[in-house]
Amino acid sequence: MTIFISGGAKNGKSTLAQDLTVALSKGGKHYYVATMISSGAEDDDRIRRHIADREGMGFETVECFRNIMDCLKIADKDGVFLVDSVTALIQNSLFPVEKNYEIDLNAANRCVEELVEFARTVRHAVFVSDYIYSDAEAFSESTEMYRKCLADIDRRLAAVCDTVIEVSAGQFIIHKGDLRI
Amino acid sequence: MVLIIGGAYQGKLDFAKETLGITDMDVYTCNSSQIDFSKRCIYKIEEFTARHDDPIGYFESHREEWQDSVLILQDIFCGVVPLGAENRAWRQRTGRLAQYLSKEAIQVSRIFCGLEQRLK
Repeated sequence: MTIFISGGAKNGKSTLAQDLTVALSKGGKHYYVATMISSGAEDDDRIRRHIADREGMGFETVECFRNIMDCLKIADKDGVFLVDSVTALIQNSLFPVEKNYEIDLNAANRCVEELVEFARTVRHAVFVSDYIYSDAEAFSESTEMYRKCLADIDRRLAAVCDTVIEVSAGQFIIHKGDLRI
Repeated sequence: MVLIIGGAYQGKLDFAKETLGITDMDVYTCNSSQIDFSKRCIYKIEEFTARHDDPIGYFESHREEWQDSVLILQDIFCGVVPLGAENRAWRQRTGRLAQYLSKEAIQVSRIFCGLEQRLK
């Protein structure tokens, strides 16, 4: 079963995603795909909080910052994968830290293609994204490109995943499929 | 009238094309303080509300012309309150217009990641 989750910040997406991943694993292997490249103390703190949240849930951590298919070189594809978040993967690809954050659209497109391939390859996965599309603000060209890339992957993952959930203030809106595991 | 709302890049126009028989020829894309209601589908209404101070009044005065239309509006009013007063006012009048149009509509569809959520 593949599940796509999106919604606003700090609304309960990660907690739901962790619970669903554990439920899907039925005691078997489940992986936390760590996607975030820390850019300082604030990120370190966030990563620490996420690690504490997962403690005792039996996750194996697999680091993957860009191309998600690389996970399968080390992880068992019959396990359950929690990809939190799609947003970080796109961000790492589109604005590569090694190239001083200069836009790399090819890398972002590859990241998108691999995510779709991954969703089709593994048996169980939970993807977490961020809903950043409803602002009354004119963004810079690079931010607009980032919103567009993320929306593209959101739509494609929503199309291939069995279940699509929007989380709002800790409540769930099921847009596709169901939560019967 | 059918109202389609949703965030940027979510597939609102694609949804109109797939389910309501809209073609590129039917689409008027707003870019001024006027709307060409002779087209069946009015797209990017948030660009119109950015340029018109009284969008509800404008829609009321053209009431007869959009009764059978497909109206597409980005929900720019869900995000962070903008720092600039102009954007704040734009956000508010767009939200109010959304309420007005949603009352008038026979169908309201919200598009989320390419999927329809039927609100009315």
